[in-house]
Amino acid sequence: MTSFQISISDSRTVATRFISRVRREIHKALTEESRKRGLTQSDIAREIGVHRSVISRELRGQKDISLGRVGEIAHALGRDPEFFLREDEIDYASNFRPETFKIVIDGGTTSKAAVLEPPKGLRAA
Amino acid sequence: MATILDLAHRNELHKIIPKLSRRKQEERSIYVSSALKEWILRVLPTKESDWKLELSPLEQFAALANDFAAGQFLTYKLDFLPLRHVEDGIWELKTGDLRLFGWFPAKDCFIAHRLEMTTHIKEHKLYFGMAGEVATYRNNLELDEPKFISGVNPNDVVSNFHF
Repeated sequence: MTSFQISISDSRTVATRFISRVRREIHKALTEESRKRGLTQSDIAREIGVHRSVISRELRGQKDISLGRVGEIAHALGRDPEFFLREDEIDYASNFRPETFKIVIDGGTTSKAAVLEPPKGLRAA
Repeated sequence: MATILDLAHRNELHKIIPKLSRRKQEERSIYVSSALKEWILRVLPTKESDWKLELSPLEQFAALANDFAAGQFLTYKLDFLPLRHVEDGIWELKTGDLRLFGWFPAKDCFIAHRLEMTTHIKEHKLYFGMAGEVATYRNNLELDEPKFISGVNPNDVVSNFHF
């Protein structure tokens, strides 16, 4: 079976994923606001002060959305954008090797529980 | 006749392996024909964005494949659309620069046969031709019946989407 993967670098993969995620969040929020209060792309365009076609092209992925525009659209949607950089944790579940874990028996309570402690540097996924 | 996996084992269909983040698992799948696989590997990397986008067409396709496989929220008409009035059950998945044509043999499983730059398709009025090619390929593929999900109802073909 010749399955294959699209060959782009890991850093560009993260970039594409982030750009895509931002656009999808905007789509999702617009859908929700459209259902709640009938908000349209025209309303957003009017709020921001651009032509509707600009918003349409941005949402269709035919125009890049700048960080500032993300903020403007969020505001027009009645939302507050948040951004954080999550630490790239190692998923020790996929690297689990039983012999590397220390078993700690908690004898201080009536019910004894075995707690697996991962080695330093690894955290739970 | 054969299942999708049979055809994949015979190298008539090729599964795109997504690059998923650690917290995601594969919820949908895309298979492509041999001809399309060659186009993706040989031609797509040479394409530049007609809209001068930050993401190249290759990167857009990678994002589309990865998001689709990860079961990400899809927007009807913006991300995917049936080609009505052409051939039954032919759908397109979309990026800013690209249109991917295929069909759904089962919910959340897409088999694609043609991929092309949107501006090229529109300039040369290729929608009908593309849909026809995909339908012909589908008809000739030795896939178990029913070969595709008929109709234009997005609820029948993908999960986790909105209008």
